[in-house]
Amino acid sequence: MLLIRCPYCETERPEVEFVYAGEAHVARPVDPAALTDDEWKNFLFIRSNARGTHFERWRHMHGCGRFFNAVRDTVSDQFAMTYKAGMPRPTENEIKEARS
Amino acid sequence: MLQERHPLKGHRISLAEGVSLVIHDAEDSSRFNLRIAPENLGAASKAFGCELLATIGATATSGGRLALCLGPDEWQLYAPLAESRSIETTFAALYASCPHSLVDVGHREIGIAVEGAAAVLALRSACAFDFDTMPSGTGTRTIFDKAQIILIRHDENRFRIEVWRSFADHVWGLLQAASREIALGI
Amino acid sequence: MSTYRVSGKGRVDHNRPVRFTFNGENFEGRQGDTLASALLANGVHLIGRSFKYHRPRGFLSAGSEEPNALVGVNRGVGRAEPNTRATVLEIFDGLNTVSQNHWPSLKRDVGAINDPLYMLFSAGFYYKTFMWPKSFWNKVYEPIIRGAAGLGKSPAVPDPDTYASRYAHCDVLVVGSGPAGLVAALEAGKSGAKVILVDESPEFGGSLLGEPDAEINHLSAWDWLLETNAALAAMKNVTLLNRTTAIGYYHQNFVGLCQRLTDHLSELPDGAPRERLWKVRAKQVVLAQGSIEKPLVFDGNDRPGVMLAGSARVYLNRYGVKVGNLPVVVTSHDSAWLAAFDMAQAGAKVAAIVDIRARVPNYFVKRARALGIETLCGWTISGTKGRHRVTSVRVNPVSAGGHVGPARTIACDALLMSGGWTPSVHLFSHTKGKLDWNDERQMFLPGARTEDSRCAGAGNGKFGLEESLMEGASAGAAAAIDAGFSASAGSYSVEGEVLCIGASNRELPSDGSASWAKAFVDFQNDVTAKDIRLAVREGFKSIEHIKRYTTTGMATDQGKTSNMNGLSIASDAVKRPSPSVGLTTFRPPYTPTTFGAFAGYNRGDLFEVTRKTAIDSWAEEKGAVYEPVSLWRRAWYFSKQGEDMHQAVARECRATRQSLGMFDASTLGKIEIVGPDAAEFMNRMYTNAWTKLAPGRLRYGLLLGEDGFIRDDGVIGRLSTDRFHVTTTTGGAARVLAMMEDYLQTEWPDLKVWLTSTTEQWAVIALNGPNARKLIEPLVEGIDLANEAFPHMSVAEGRICGVPTRLFRVSFTGELGFEVNVPARYGRAVWEALYDAGRKYGITPYGTETMHVLRAEKGYIIVGQDTDGTVTPEDASLAWAIGKTKPDFVGKRSLTRPDMLMADRKQLVGLLTSDPKTVLEEGAQIVLDPNQKVPMKMVGHVTSSYWSETLGRSIALAIVEGGRAKEGQTVHVPMPDKTHSAEIVGMVFVDPENKRLNV
Repeated sequence: MLLIRCPYCETERPEVEFVYAGEAHVARPVDPAALTDDEWKNFLFIRSNARGTHFERWRHMHGCGRFFNAVRDTVSDQFAMTYKAGMPRPTENEIKEARS
Repeated sequence: MLQERHPLKGHRISLAEGVSLVIHDAEDSSRFNLRIAPENLGAASKAFGCELLATIGATATSGGRLALCLGPDEWQLYAPLAESRSIETTFAALYASCPHSLVDVGHREIGIAVEGAAAVLALRSACAFDFDTMPSGTGTRTIFDKAQIILIRHDENRFRIEVWRSFADHVWGLLQAASREIALGI
Repeated sequence: MSTYRVSGKGRVDHNRPVRFTFNGENFEGRQGDTLASALLANGVHLIGRSFKYHRPRGFLSAGSEEPNALVGVNRGVGRAEPNTRATVLEIFDGLNTVSQNHWPSLKRDVGAINDPLYMLFSAGFYYKTFMWPKSFWNKVYEPIIRGAAGLGKSPAVPDPDTYASRYAHCDVLVVGSGPAGLVAALEAGKSGAKVILVDESPEFGGSLLGEPDAEINHLSAWDWLLETNAALAAMKNVTLLNRTTAIGYYHQNFVGLCQRLTDHLSELPDGAPRERLWKVRAKQVVLAQGSIEKPLVFDGNDRPGVMLAGSARVYLNRYGVKVGNLPVVVTSHDSAWLAAFDMAQAGAKVAAIVDIRARVPNYFVKRARALGIETLCGWTISGTKGRHRVTSVRVNPVSAGGHVGPARTIACDALLMSGGWTPSVHLFSHTKGKLDWNDERQMFLPGARTEDSRCAGAGNGKFGLEESLMEGASAGAAAAIDAGFSASAGSYSVEGEVLCIGASNRELPSDGSASWAKAFVDFQNDVTAKDIRLAVREGFKSIEHIKRYTTTGMATDQGKTSNMNGLSIASDAVKRPSPSVGLTTFRPPYTPTTFGAFAGYNRGDLFEVTRKTAIDSWAEEKGAVYEPVSLWRRAWYFSKQGEDMHQAVARECRATRQSLGMFDASTLGKIEIVGPDAAEFMNRMYTNAWTKLAPGRLRYGLLLGEDGFIRDDGVIGRLSTDRFHVTTTTGGAARVLAMMEDYLQTEWPDLKVWLTSTTEQWAVIALNGPNARKLIEPLVEGIDLANEAFPHMSVAEGRICGVPTRLFRVSFTGELGFEVNVPARYGRAVWEALYDAGRKYGITPYGTETMHVLRAEKGYIIVGQDTDGTVTPEDASLAWAIGKTKPDFVGKRSLTRPDMLMADRKQLVGLLTSDPKTVLEEGAQIVLDPNQKVPMKMVGHVTSSYWSETLGRSIALAIVEGGRAKEGQTVHVPMPDKTHSAEIVGMVFVDPENKRLNV
């Protein structure tokens, strides 16, 4: 069981309190009607499926209830960092710093 | 008025001498789930007559009322049963100037008191987090085996579990099993 | 007593005899014995038959690595456990054990016919042999193979034991209580850190328990042990867990421990759990798992009486048991010489020490001579003899050039062997920690770590006692420091230590034919050196493939004694160095673990949460039959006077349509949506338009996923401008709330609206039937129930039976209907009051089955039954529920994707069977042409199917390709009895004009 740092509670909590919620930074288009079928398909179904650094969403479902973002390595399963929903995608340097 | 039915009414586990552990149905209270923007906390605190702290996990008590911060915009409010209506009325008056959501969840949950020197040991049977990181006077939503609960630590050895009513039997059954081990010293 | 027990020796209590049985025969052991040591004390070496060849087997080891000595333990009904390792099984008065894998008896076994047929059973035998004819596999070959194979018999009745679990957090977790682990725990404990020390054995001490002669800090090993254990026990910050195996090491220093609580007791305390699974999160971990001795690989190395030398030493020094009176030692490692010396000093006549190495340190040779033991250095062993126990060995000199000379036979009653020692790196490997190959020492040692862990002692290649203590101490102190404490390692000295070294081998040289040699590598799976070489010859080059083809290392011992021998033979056969051939992966659990331990409390009543409504207890008293619906149990139907389900449901349906039925709808999900933007939020989430819904009114709401498929539905009430009472399906409650929170928090955080689950706040009583209003009118206060004032699809707050209610006028049956929401704890009382008041209308409680029938008669869908995640509103004939003028809502854009507009999409329709008595099977497939060849083209399936008491015939809903355009056509439904025909019709079977609703 992983330990996950909730950026809202600012503590590490056991994985059982959390649920995974898919890839992060996939914003719902403001005006879906303006998208072509192809663009809409990409939004709906196409994900990066990264090997290595992955930006993903989690929810502290059985804690504070908040959705947040995380940087996790899909090979080692290790979290590099977590950050609040709405914050920009961290840069490579920020991730490197968080890992060290 | 018709009779209320509490799933755990009169339930009690009390271990023989030598091991300090008492588990029983907690005294009932009114409960509200309050959702409000943090900038309106001052007004909400005033309305509740008890300070609403902005730190997740923090509790404040005043005059038999208790407010627990569960999330950045979520508080669980507890008060004596008789004060339920007046709390609703006060918050309703606040709504126009400070929009919020106050929802009566008094019947949604059941309180279980877990008390004694072995309380933490009993809870560790089904709670995965580190109790050393939970100071007295704090509360948290968490998972107890397969049930979501709110856990409040009044002091070192005195806890209160708040659990949705249909999960209460499961939580009780687990506490019973854990108590048996503690009683046997095994 | 036997001649094998050495009185006064060992840690067993010689004054406390313990009586037990093995294969029905009575034996006596000592308190502190394992089954293995107790049987050996009685001269019993034959303990079981091997897996494939049914060869007689004895005890190879004295620990948890044991591959051979698996027995069945019988503790009464349901407490029969197969495959328990006799080497770790503590005996107690009344213990009842049996040997396994033989018929009719251990000494005469029919399956041993496999042994002379050895040449047939080589690697890949099963793959190669049972290929033809294909049809024989399922019916003939597999049942016979399965019957013949397998280790022991599983119990046939449920396990009566209970199991426990516990979470723990600590600063330093130390795995293993040998010298390194003990001092690691001691040093960390002294710093004040929270320490947990675990060991699988009942006693702490590890290898020291078998080495009483060592001297640590000027104390004898056992005095030092006493002192150290006492010091640890006195520390409040140290938790000592004996009889506890660290079974798995997971991410972020999460370690699973299995603690055996009662298996060693002759009397089981009432209600005590048998085992407890600890789930420990440690800041720092110290792995001091020690090492495991390697067997030597030669013909007949599996005969009973052939045993690891170090284990023989443990039997002698820890348990006071000589494994033989006339042992021969064969080794390529110094440590076996110490075993020979100890045996000799205990009175055994050591017939010879055979060392594969031509040169052995003088110290050992001298000491052997002083004890009168013959030494044969530069010799090999080429065979053993003896039916149920070794009686002689065949040894040969090997010249410097490798020539094997003429054999000599030496009589013996035990053969102690050692091929050197392998550091136990299992837990370290669980973490994907890197293993580094040490070419000089021919072993893998822990390398770069991935977790906050340290390896110490023999498990890290430090085989010397002093170096092991020193490393343990510094690891313990360093772990404490890293966990935030201040510590400095104490100093440990060992007097007169003799360091043991050795050489590594493959199969030993022999003058016999290699193709006939039964030189075992994996004892439990009966894999020989020849099998491994054959696999390589047949083209398997990767160790992972060799492992799977030969099954070496794949038994329940995970190759603890065999992996390194297998690897060195494989690497020789493929002509590549060991590190490039690589090791197979060690996986949790370290030793076999019961399912009970993993299940913990979650069995029986606590297997899963069983949610019950506030009204459930009433239904139980009335004899309701239940069905599970997500985690809830719901009343399915109420059987009266011996009615079967069909009769009960027919009665419930009739009563509801004709007069009045009542139904516990409390499990429906409920969400309170409050805030100035509540209507806007509803507009964005649901397909329907909400802005114009007046307070006090209800609307059917349809929720899609962003992909345009139906996710949930429910009736939604607007209590005030800013407050909605949303209902969801029973199973969808948590999912819908989570989906709403997701959009609210991450897509539209600017909206001022909040969501709260009120599922369990309210008990819900659905009243349906022409007399529903008449029933509640006198009980309701504050709500005008007249049809004009409170029409269909209305909601109001008032009181019923004196308690607050949110009263819905709504119907899921097509009859005049109300849903009475009351605070949950009043649920049962209000239900009873309504039931009593309803007697004059013949009020009839009904369950979920009747609810399903009545709604199907009206063509109301159940999300998840009539839809399956690929159904759009249009497919379900629910396009009317879409707010056409809304610019956007979740899923809207997807509804115009090309796929969603295809004419042949599967659509929901009604079905009427040609034979009105036939009730189709739900899930049955639908075809257009019943005479086509199998496999037929399936165009859809039946989603709902019932006997309609109202219509006196069967009805069904189905999903059919282009279904609506096929209305009036006949389709066919193949079922096991015959193929039925049915006509496609509309979805509403009863009262399509809704005359019964609006009264």
